This record gives sequence, C-alpha cells and structure tokens, in this order.
Amino acid sequence: MNEPILSVKDLNLKFSLRGQTLHALRDVCLDVYKGESLAIVGESGSGKSVLTKCFLGLNDANGYIESGSILYEGMDLAAFKKESEWLKIRGREIAMVMQDPMTSLNPLRTIGAQILESINLHQKNLTPAQAKTKMLDMLDQVGIYDPEKRAKQYPHEFSGGMRQRVVIAIALACKPKILICDEPTTALDVTIQAQILKLIKTLVKESGITAIYITHDLGVVANVSTRIAVMYAGDIVEIGTSEEIFYDPRHPYTWALLSSLPQLGVKGEKLYSIAGTQANLFARVEGDAFAPRNPYALKMDYVKRPPYFELSPTHKARTWLLDARAPKVEPPEIIRKLSRREVDLNG
Amino acid sequence: MNRLWQFFEACGRFISAHWLTLVILIVILAGFFALMAWRHLVKYSLKRLGASVLTLLIIITVVFVLLRNMPEEGFIENYDKLSKEQRLQKLESLGLTKPIYEQFWNFLKNLFRGDFGKSTKYSINRDVMKIIAEKAPLSMILGVISMALSLVMGIPLGAAMARKKGKFWDRFGTAFIVFINAVPAAVYYIFIQLYGTKLMSIDLTFSRGDPVTWILPIFSMSLGSAASYAMWLRRYMLDEINKDYIRLARAKGVPGRKLMFRHVFRNAFVPMIQYIPASLLYTVAGSLYIESLYSIPGMGGLLVQAIGLQDNPLVQALVMIYSCIGIVGLLLGDLLMATIDPRINFVKKGGVR
Repeated sequence: MNEPILSVKDLNLKFSLRGQTLHALRDVCLDVYKGESLAIVGESGSGKSVLTKCFLGLNDANGYIESGSILYEGMDLAAFKKESEWLKIRGREIAMVMQDPMTSLNPLRTIGAQILESINLHQKNLTPAQAKTKMLDMLDQVGIYDPEKRAKQYPHEFSGGMRQRVVIAIALACKPKILICDEPTTALDVTIQAQILKLIKTLVKESGITAIYITHDLGVVANVSTRIAVMYAGDIVEIGTSEEIFYDPRHPYTWALLSSLPQLGVKGEKLYSIAGTQANLFARVEGDAFAPRNPYALKMDYVKRPPYFELSPTHKARTWLLDARAPKVEPPEIIRKLSRREVDLNG
Repeated sequence: MNRLWQFFEACGRFISAHWLTLVILIVILAGFFALMAWRHLVKYSLKRLGASVLTLLIIITVVFVLLRNMPEEGFIENYDKLSKEQRLQKLESLGLTKPIYEQFWNFLKNLFRGDFGKSTKYSINRDVMKIIAEKAPLSMILGVISMALSLVMGIPLGAAMARKKGKFWDRFGTAFIVFINAVPAAVYYIFIQLYGTKLMSIDLTFSRGDPVTWILPIFSMSLGSAASYAMWLRRYMLDEINKDYIRLARAKGVPGRKLMFRHVFRNAFVPMIQYIPASLLYTVAGSLYIESLYSIPGMGGLLVQAIGLQDNPLVQALVMIYSCIGIVGLLLGDLLMATIDPRINFVKKGGVR
C-alpha cells in the first residue's frame, strides 16, 4: 500500500468530567492511506467519534490530548492549540459529514448561501460569479435537480435525504483531502441510505478523496470500505482489509460484533448480543478491556494488555489468543461459516 | 434641543389628532409590504392582520360597554353643583340617554373622526386628545432613547455572556440580571435618583431644558429591559451553540467570530425580535413610576390621574391608545419575525416539505 496521509501514534485523550477523568482514547495507533476507504466500527462509546473529532479539533473543551501525535502533511495536529491553526485544516484539508441532516444545516440561511460560505472560506481567489457557478455545480454533482431554484430554498424545504446531499456538497465544495463521514446514514430511512452511500462512494472515488466512515452498521461497512478498524473501549483492537476482517477475524470482540449481525442470524433463533457492558473508562483498565465480556478470555487477559500480533502486513489484532503459548481456540460457528463464505453478507 | 422638542411636539399633536387613521394606515401598510416583498407571507400576514382588527374591535366594544356602566358623574363636569334636571339635560346633550346601539354607533363614528370627547374633570371642557397630545411627546422621546439604550446595553451583554460562559462577563451579567429581577424596581429607582443626583449635583426633578437631568430617568427606564434582553439573548445563544449546524459550520472551517455573528447571534435573535416592537411601543407610552418620581410631565401618570378623578372620556381615550399600542406592537413583532424566519410560512405549497 502507498503512503499514509494521516498517521496517529499512541494517542491518549482524556475528558475531565465533574472532577473525574475519562480515558476516552487509549494508545490509539492508526495509519490512514491515501485514497482508501477506512471504516471505523465499534459500539457506542468506543471512541470512534472522539478519534475522528481529534483530526478536526472539534472535541469539547473538557477533552485534552495527553500524549501521542497525529501527523498530517508534516504537521502534528495533536499539538494544535490555536483556532487559527485549525482553520487551515477544517473544511480545507479534512471535511466532515455529520449524522443528522435534519439539524446540521442552519435553518435561517438558504442552501446556496451555506455552500457558498464554505467555498468562499477556502477559495478566496474566486469571483462571486465563479463561486456561484461552483456552488450550483456542487448541487448538481450531489444529485439535486434544478440547482438554480433549489439553491434559493431553505433547509426546511428539503427532505432528509436531500439535506444530507447538501451536507455532502458543503463538505466536498472545498476539495478536501480527507472526508470523515460520521454515521452518514443513521438518521435516514433505509431506502435513502443506499442512495446516499452510493453517492458518497462515487464522489469520493472520482475526486480521489480519502474517506473515513464511522459507523456501527457493519452492513454499511461491507458496502463501502476497503479497510476496517474495530474499536473497543477507546482502542483499536483489530484492523485489516475488509476481506480479512469479515472472513478471517481474530479478535473475540470482532467475532462478537460479527455474530450480532442480523444478516447472520438464523431464523427462529435468538439474535446474538454481547453480554455485559463496556469497560468503565473512568477507572484504570487492567489487561484487555474486553476480557470481562469475553467467553474466550485467558488468565493473561486480566493481567497484561495484549500487544498487536501481526497476521499479515495489513492485518493485526490485539489479543493474547494469538500468542504462541495460548491454547488454540476455535471461533464461534457463525464466524466459521463466514470464513467458509457460506453467508451472503448483502442478503 | 428646543427645535427638536418642537418637532416632537408637533409629531405628538399630529399623532394624537389622527391616531386611529394612523393605526389603520400602519396596519394597511404592513399588510401591503408583506404582500409585495414576501409573497409567501401574504396569507399569514392577512390572517394576522384580520386577527388584529378583530382584537381592536373587541377592545373598543369592551371599553365602550364598561364606560357606559360607570356612574354618570364621570361624564359631567361640576356634577355636585347641578340639579337633577340639569344633569339630565347634560346627559341628553351628550347623547347618553339614547338607546345603547345608537350610542355605540355614534361612538364609533366619533372615533373615526378622532373625536374622543371633552375632559370632564382633569381639565374641564378641553379636548381629550389635546391633553394627551401635550403629554405624549415627552414620554415618546424618553421612551425611544431608553429603549435604544437598553438594546445597546442588553444585547452586547447577553452576547458576551454566551460567548464566555462561566467567565467574568457571564458572572457579571448574571449578577446584574439577578439584581434587577430580585430587587423591586422602586427600590433601585429611588437609589439611582438619590445618589445619582447627588453625585452629579443636580436637582431631584427633571427639567426639560437641562439635558443632564434626562440622563438618570432614561438610565433607570432602560435597566429592566436591558436585563431581560441580556438574559434571553444569552439563553437563546447558548441554545444555538449546542446545535448540530453550529458544529457543522465549525467543521467546515468558519472562524469563531464569524460563527458567533453569522450563525449563533442571528439565529438567537429571531425569537427575541418578536418582542422588540411591542416593548418599544410600551416604553414610548411612558413609564408610570419614573415619570412621577422625577415629576416628568409625561403620559405615564395621566391614566392614573384620570381614573382617580373619574374623568371618563379621558380614561376611555387612554385605554384605547394603550391597547392599540399593544396590538400594533404584537402585529409588527409577528410580521418582523415572519420575514426573518423562513420557517414561518403558513401557506402550504404543494409538493415541497
């Protein structure tokens, strides 16, 4: 694979909440490669949103980076303090599409004005007429008919799916290098979801943008991503290409996550769910954070945090099960079926 | 100052002479504007206008009915000195012995002519409107200035409070708001008057020719609304700051200052703008207490005096003026809000939504 465009090293991020500290990201390491589509999956509270917000400096004021670095084009984003530094990144280098299109547009400004704002912020050399042409062009690109007329309308005159198209237009208006999609389809109804995903996918491909999807919907992941990072309790527990994660998963958490896919459930049987609750990140986590919920946990898992075991140049996982001294453990039946490709993921 | 004063007085006279015509004109104008500029607001404006006219009619009727049920001495000057026959004669000459519907019709006719009758106690036999015309301009100027001052104080304070939540300005503003709301206005008005005049070494009372004496009453008048503007603006701005579209705007790289003004402030101002015309008109109508405190010869004290004296025609005119002010204020507020907020659109357009 080619050069990493963004490189996160040993990132530790904490939130101070009512006198307590929450360790939201624990030694996260992640390389994002140019032109790829990376999906970050994990349950709510696993830190996937927090991680991507670090790239834009959008975390709440009570969150602070304790150690680690985020390298982007020779700059360390983790060391950014001033707003003026972030303004060089936000929208221009890294853009974001947010979860809920119903609330992510300013209700009092026209659609056109909101896209124009973004164009004017980052491309100051354009004349107003050029900017307007560009704005209409963007609307056209995201599949909005009659852009001339629609640009003069307000968000409340658009449906949810249309608004998400506008949000995408805003994000892509300045030709960013990285596009972060924070659960871009969660708030949309199912029929629209596929359209929006397809739109993002084609636009990203056409303009060679690196995309990072955040989602807890593995169906979405299977659809769009080339590489998958699985997050649990503020840490990436397994990362690999989509093939590797879906057909050769190694971490018990990835097994559990895949097993709870409704597509893999057998009709008439209870759908799998992961027992217990996520690790308490206010307290210090000893060993593997997933151990208490892990039916395959070894004694070692409670004592020492597992390192990454490399399975292939692209695939690594953080579990003691992969250690040479560990007993051989068979993954659950559903996962073995997946590995033998007996299940159709899109079905 | 004097020339300005004359101008205002002339305005006052004109307004009080043709007030109803003016109200109707304003209403029609507002409707016309809405019609021309904001086509999508036509139906809403017309509806709103209709409601206002209806309210006005109801108020006129209520005032009429109430005042016809007042003791008859309120309509006759020197009541005690007259014999029974003389009183009856007087009532007849005023048309008060006619059947009620006929009285109502005459009353309406006179209203449209701007004739509110003659004062019976306050200043015998003078035209009610003339009395009001003398009083209104001063209250008007004081009101407009204090309104402007309260906006100038309240809006930046509220914005500063929201921007630096929990910091100095927020604390200062909160203390100010709590103080203004918790301490009875009468108390701090008196404090301001006593210590303010002492500090500036001027008289306790207001004098028209001396601009220095204008400062304290205007300042006192503006404190209350400044506090409420600050409070509401802070609240609305904090509401907006936490919304998703602000986050998206930040993510697309809008710098903090622009974000605050173009997105947060503007959107937070919408729910506030509704009340500004109404409060402007109310301050124009004069502050009862401050006017009596500084013995300002304005309109504020007039109503109380007229009620005390049982000067029915004067009471009738004042009550109607106040209610008109209220109605027009609310109407303007709603129309203003509708023009600013595109979501207020009561016309259903097929297809979109």
